[in-house]
Amino acid sequence: MAGKGGATPATYSPSPTTDKQKPALFKEDWVRPDGRGFHQCRPAFFRTGAVNAASGSAYAEFGNTKVIVSVFGPRESKKAMMYSDIGRLNCNVSFTTFATPVRGQGSDHNEYSAMLHKALEGGIILESFPKTTVDVFALVLESSGSDLPVVISCASLALADAGIMMYDLVASVSVSSFSKNLVIDPVLEEENCQDGSLMITCMPSRYEITQLTVTGEWSSPKINEGMQLCLDACAKLAKIMRSCLKEAASDSKE
Amino acid sequence: MEEGKEAVMVTPGEVLGRSSDVKAGRGAYTALHNNTVYASLTGFRRTIPPPPDSPDQRPTVEVTGHKAHGPVPQPGSVVIARVTKVMARSASADIMCVGAKSAREKFTGIIRQQDVRATEIDKVDMHLSFHPGDIVKALVLSLGDARAYFLSTAKNELGVVSAESIAGETMVPVSWTEMQCPLTGQIEQRKVAKASS
Repeated sequence: MAGKGGATPATYSPSPTTDKQKPALFKEDWVRPDGRGFHQCRPAFFRTGAVNAASGSAYAEFGNTKVIVSVFGPRESKKAMMYSDIGRLNCNVSFTTFATPVRGQGSDHNEYSAMLHKALEGGIILESFPKTTVDVFALVLESSGSDLPVVISCASLALADAGIMMYDLVASVSVSSFSKNLVIDPVLEEENCQDGSLMITCMPSRYEITQLTVTGEWSSPKINEGMQLCLDACAKLAKIMRSCLKEAASDSKE
Repeated sequence: MEEGKEAVMVTPGEVLGRSSDVKAGRGAYTALHNNTVYASLTGFRRTIPPPPDSPDQRPTVEVTGHKAHGPVPQPGSVVIARVTKVMARSASADIMCVGAKSAREKFTGIIRQQDVRATEIDKVDMHLSFHPGDIVKALVLSLGDARAYFLSTAKNELGVVSAESIAGETMVPVSWTEMQCPLTGQIEQRKVAKASS
């Protein structure tokens, strides 16, 4: 198996930047990098109507994670598409090159677009816009942990801002597990060293879950605890989202 | 009976009432699994009292769009479209306005030979009814196929509203089949809409 002199090595070893050594911090009684409690979420900031060209848009900031979502539609589907008597949803999530600490290295999350689609389609009344398409474009300006949950919540606000009929607002929160502890709304450093993650997207007013994603090893009691944490956090998040919508609506009325 | 004068703002997913008490109007929907009426848009909640002679005496609750999405052609709505292509048996048109609102992006519509007018529909010559560039007022018949909405101009008040002559001037309607260029006096054939007086 010896390669020819100077050729690429026969074995592969990961590059040093993906070093997953847990720092000694993440042991028994460690403090989170930003001083939050284990079950405390970052303060959320939402603003709708950020993009004038779009039918609806929203901007969200959770700590350092910054996301902007634009919604276009309902507009004509591409001619190549087959006729459909319910509406279509088309999602795209992209990262700016400056989103991650290392330039360009955060852009390998191609599955986020499909996950955003699955999270949102349960909440939209597709029958209200037959034959047409609603396009959702999410751009992550700064990625600092918990990106997909923030993108989902922000996209739901943008859809409400665009006037698309929905069953309910969609809120999303994720929880990381570290051997014995559960930590809600992880930041980037916590996500890199986690043992497992649980992300829940739910419609709080109807108490229904549209998407549940679990990675890693979880025992039943842990999953129950994680789910309960997430659902409580989603309910609080939905309150903030609703007040943001109402504020924006009454601002534009004046 | 007081019409809801509460300027209560609601957001999607907020409970508007039980389905035994109220009916869901525009901007609201009924969830069958727990018989509750929820809002589906952001806007002001309004209650409309039921008509006195209907069997169902529940008031209708609706959410009047603080913001509604851009207009989408619905069957039965009158649209303004610009003709893009005229072929032997149909004409393609880009729908630009739905009702009184202009669409943010155009939708494609098609006017078939049998939908141009109400009489002698098999003897219609498309080139004597429309020219590319004409502005027509049409009625949406149906959602159509994947490519286009089906439009109809088979009414007196539907048809070409504004057209340019070969000389380049906006023409004046003369009858329901003819328009005249004010510059050259030439008469051109169109399916003209009856102007509303």
